[in-house]
Amino acid sequence: MFSAMLKKEFLLVLRDKRALAVLFLMPALFILIISVAMRDVFTQSSVSYDITIVDLDKSKITTEMINDIRKNRSFHIVDNANIVITIPQKYSKSKKRLKIEIKDSLKSDEIELFKAKLLKDITNLKLKIIKNRLMEFSDEAGAAIGSISLDSQDLFELKYNEKEELPNSTQQSVPSWIVFGMFFMITPISTVFINERKQNTLSRLNSMSVSVFSMVLSKIVPYLFIAQLQAFVMIGVGMFIVPLFNTPALAINGSVLALMFLSFALSLCAVGLASLIAVSANSGEQASTIGGIMSILLGAIGGVMVPKFIMPDFMQTLANISPMSWGLDGFLDIFLRGGGISMVLNEALMLMLFGVVTLGISMMMLHLRMKKGFE
Amino acid sequence: MIKVTNVVKQYGDLKALDALSLEIKKGTIFGLLGVNGAGKSTLLSILNGLTPIDSGAIEVFGLDLKKNIKKIKEISSIIPQNLAFYEQLTVKENLEFFKNVQNGTFESFEKAIHVNALGDILTQKASTLSGGQKRRLNIAIGLLNNPKIIYFDEPTVGIDPKSRNEILESIKSYKKFGITVVYTSHYMNEVEMICDEVAIISHGKLVTQETNLQNLEKHFLELTKESHV
Repeated sequence: MFSAMLKKEFLLVLRDKRALAVLFLMPALFILIISVAMRDVFTQSSVSYDITIVDLDKSKITTEMINDIRKNRSFHIVDNANIVITIPQKYSKSKKRLKIEIKDSLKSDEIELFKAKLLKDITNLKLKIIKNRLMEFSDEAGAAIGSISLDSQDLFELKYNEKEELPNSTQQSVPSWIVFGMFFMITPISTVFINERKQNTLSRLNSMSVSVFSMVLSKIVPYLFIAQLQAFVMIGVGMFIVPLFNTPALAINGSVLALMFLSFALSLCAVGLASLIAVSANSGEQASTIGGIMSILLGAIGGVMVPKFIMPDFMQTLANISPMSWGLDGFLDIFLRGGGISMVLNEALMLMLFGVVTLGISMMMLHLRMKKGFE
Repeated sequence: MIKVTNVVKQYGDLKALDALSLEIKKGTIFGLLGVNGAGKSTLLSILNGLTPIDSGAIEVFGLDLKKNIKKIKEISSIIPQNLAFYEQLTVKENLEFFKNVQNGTFESFEKAIHVNALGDILTQKASTLSGGQKRRLNIAIGLLNNPKIIYFDEPTVGIDPKSRNEILESIKSYKKFGITVVYTSHYMNEVEMICDEVAIISHGKLVTQETNLQNLEKHFLELTKESHV
């Protein structure tokens, strides 16, 4: 009997092409858009500037200066940049100043940072000029000047509290939208449950002594499969599609087994919640509204919409009430910290417990409502 | 025999069945006639074990309903007034599913197709069927467990006269398979056409139970007038 129920559910799910398209396209598009859009926000490398240099002096010294700037990773020398540095004629032999034109609207602290970075290269150049002049009189004095380094690692030893490793935009967006995508199943699962009632087949199955356990279990199994597929398709998007847009690719640094375990636990949690909403609601519209609001709220609290690490402390604590946060933390443990099953065990067990409890309540509620004849 | 004794079913303040008693003989086509809200559907739902009773007793083929719900469900089948199958599946997929769920046999599957003339539309999606074809599929599903009793809850509502006659003819043919049919309707001419015995119920009470269908007309006309008033 159960295999017949299962076959029927798979047929119904596979024939609902629109729901399937939404389940796969929606998170895939979100991953792509958010990863690319947030690429620079999540990038932790040092600030760099595109600059154009116009050398009117064309002396050996200015050529040397341009080479130094080129070696400085803070600057990219390109044509037609928004920052133009003009080296005036006879710059190397006079006290003329560099002309800098900034076409962008930069904040004052950004201008200060730019000036400081450029100053290092100009100071190096001036030191070279002094060294060359001194060498004409004394090799020793020239060598002494030449040994002066302006590199920060030669000048000071910096000690600071290293913050927790933070994800890049892809590492943040892929797990976020896998989690959200799975909870987005609330709508199609609710529709399947409510259609069964609306089409009077629930009552018919009840008249045929089909147990509530078989009814619920047969409905959730296809979605558990879809959820696994969904998770791995989204990981594929992060690994192979996102890099095509000049954005860091996702790397599975941790265990694939842990990934599968966590993905199953998360899907069990999502289908449990979906079943509970489906059996509590009286209509498809009601289920979609409750499901939609609940997904967005759990996502907002759980760090899907806004990453947890930029939330204030009390919000980070609050995030722990959302199952989406448990799933997200688990995925970050795998992608970011190279975690295995032991690292995600707590999150996975919490998700599974949530799923089993909500499924149990759903079955009890469905049994009671059918007994009362809720149709 | 199906024996209903002093059955009461109440929904809040509304008494759907009010100490109803009647008997249905094995192998007959038994009509339950009454206006909308008379309690016909409630009685069918109770007889099929879908709705519990508040008081009274019901015996189906010698089995007490309260104690043997599962057994009684296995030998009976209800054809609901509203269509109850999967619109997204084909006719064949629907029949196969409901057959397998009830551990039906290949013979019952073939019989359901033959009796309801579904052979030509097996591969059609249920959502694309005409009103009459949908009704026939709805009825065919009820035959898949080889039932001894079939309850029909107003199966001809909202269909054209041709399909209606086809359905009534097919129901008449169940008698030769030894199936007991309980047929509810609010159309006098339908029960006259197919039933051996008819009970009229009103406000959850038995008005009359007759094998001589000539006597029914005056009772039913009175009820219809009353319900119009």
